[in-house]
Amino acid sequence: MIEKLLEGGGDLVERADVCVIGSGAGGAVAAAELAAAGRSVVVLEQGPYWTNADFTQREDQMLPRLFEDAGMRQTADGAVTILQGRNVGGSTVHNLCYAFRTPGPIVDLWREEHGLDGFTREALEPSFARVEANLRVKPIREDEVSPLNRRIRTGAEKLGYSGFVTRHNRENCVKAGYCMLGCTYGAKQSMLVTYVPRAAAAGARIYADARAERIEAEGGGVRRVLGSVVDSAGRVHGSVEVRARVVVLAAGAVNSPDLWLRSGLANGSGQVGRNLHLHPSVTVAGVWDEPLHAYRGIPQSYYIDEFIDLERNPHSGYVLMPISGFPVLTALTLPGFGRRHFEQMRDYTGIGGLLVLLHDRSAGSVVPGSGVGRPEIRYALTPHDRRLLAEGVRHCAEVLFAAGARRIVAPTLPGPLVLERGDDLGALPSEIVAGEAPIASTHPQSTCRMGGDPRTSVVDAFGESHEVPGLFVADMSVFPTSLGAPPQITTAALADRSAQRILARWPELAG
Amino acid sequence: MRLRRTARAPRATATSYPSATRRGFLRLVGSTATLATLAQLRALPAAAAARVEGAARFFNTTETEILRQVMERMVDTGLADAPRVRDTRAVASVDALCAGLDPRATDLLPLLLRAFEYGPILFDLRFSRFTRLSDAEQDESLAGWMKSRIGLRRTAFLAMRNLCFVGWYSQQETWPLIGYEGPLLGKEPPA
Repeated sequence: MIEKLLEGGGDLVERADVCVIGSGAGGAVAAAELAAAGRSVVVLEQGPYWTNADFTQREDQMLPRLFEDAGMRQTADGAVTILQGRNVGGSTVHNLCYAFRTPGPIVDLWREEHGLDGFTREALEPSFARVEANLRVKPIREDEVSPLNRRIRTGAEKLGYSGFVTRHNRENCVKAGYCMLGCTYGAKQSMLVTYVPRAAAAGARIYADARAERIEAEGGGVRRVLGSVVDSAGRVHGSVEVRARVVVLAAGAVNSPDLWLRSGLANGSGQVGRNLHLHPSVTVAGVWDEPLHAYRGIPQSYYIDEFIDLERNPHSGYVLMPISGFPVLTALTLPGFGRRHFEQMRDYTGIGGLLVLLHDRSAGSVVPGSGVGRPEIRYALTPHDRRLLAEGVRHCAEVLFAAGARRIVAPTLPGPLVLERGDDLGALPSEIVAGEAPIASTHPQSTCRMGGDPRTSVVDAFGESHEVPGLFVADMSVFPTSLGAPPQITTAALADRSAQRILARWPELAG
Repeated sequence: MRLRRTARAPRATATSYPSATRRGFLRLVGSTATLATLAQLRALPAAAAARVEGAARFFNTTETEILRQVMERMVDTGLADAPRVRDTRAVASVDALCAGLDPRATDLLPLLLRAFEYGPILFDLRFSRFTRLSDAEQDESLAGWMKSRIGLRRTAFLAMRNLCFVGWYSQQETWPLIGYEGPLLGKEPPA
């Protein structure tokens, strides 16, 4: 059952074995696994419930429907835009379907440096296998590589850079290109069309428009979750109360620690809300002479990993990924205003982008902000990361030119820097400084990190709180460090593992 | 087990409105400047389609006119036969967008519009408001914001610019100008 609480109005009072907060890559998986095993499950999702039929392929209608704060969530200094899903299915509804397992060296790093005994590649295998089967993960076929991605590959190969065509979770893709606005065709195997209906079919009660605002715990463990029925403008339409023995917190690495801290739950390590990594990214636009229609086809299928070597250094590096946009997003990328800006927009069909995504060591924090649902996000790039991002920008420009772009538009504010082919790339900034370049994040993580030592971590290797019995975290919050790769499959696999742990321990947890 | 579901009338959310502090201003510009980072070719905001219908609901009449004139210059094409902002629902679209968002994310936008209106007086020593200037003078005023040595002013420009682009390039009348074919709904997909 999936119910839109705003349509009914009024209050909700529920009781279940498990209350799952959030329905994205972590929450949906946990809910489905637990419900399928016979546990009674209630899912609270603060965002609305949309279906494929609601995805209109229009930016003005879809971007606000699918994003937290309508895409306007920012770090406290306004320097980084943080894009997270706010709907049933979470960010998997708008993501671009890269399907990577946790890099092996990162698994090893987390086990060895964070005391996660038994956290091995072999131990994770069953969860990866289940998740990949349910999401229908497969290699992207050669004929599915879009013209932009092909050109980027050509550019990378000319320069001798390492890269590869990735795997994805799409089925019968029609290559329309609207992945980021929600898939009208049901081809994207997001949580919305996989684990969420699977959970509902197994008996989970999934409530949209239900914002969790407080988790109550007593000595023996969690007792209930309180919240409100809310709309997109934050107006309250009713109250929510769910009594449960176990709570799975899967609201994302910003909202999960916010809820934890607002609830006044035990935080003996002081680590809840800390260690925030963002995978900050910066985009460089390329302009080709011929029409590319980069916004059509699978947006991201090629991946340049030349500048990250996790075996050698699991703490640092960056990757390059193609990116494209529809008119509004493209307009925002280009410099200036008025006729000068429009002259560039006339090249719209020949524009394609390449972004640098940083495996960041910079660490920020999330603290409760001005009110419910308004957490404050603090993050500052270290000098090392600022230089690495700038280095990545230079490599983006290099690859775009090698791929045949006539000019590139580098991300500097207030107006990006335009370079023609043959121009000196030395004109590009030597550091990416907050406030002087648009920086985005789609992968906030690590704010409730896993670890073997309760003094330095929040949850154990299965996502269970060291201090609050019955409370699990099943989202990107649990990553001990930056992941250094697209996180969808890791998040889902760790949530699967948490669910299996809950089931194995159920007699004890229910006691 | 569901225990109870009771009907109740909606109530206003308990919202604390921030004052016009530097931080509040940063949040505001951050908001629309999100849109900038959407310069990252990623996401941004808006409101439900149904809300685009009807008269201004977020901005008052004066603010709506300031927004329209600022937008006319921000998206000027220089083409005689191109649509103008006033021919489209671009302003109504921005209004609907703002009306549909959490007030804590948009409450300083009217102030920002007033700042643009009085910008020529405050910064350019002109004795005229923005909406009373010629097209060329308005462009000059906007360029002053864009190139200002004051970072906050540049950020404000970016916020306003992005808001205008959101409104303008979501209008289907603008798509033929740049070669975008529009949504494929109801059409044969490329595959």
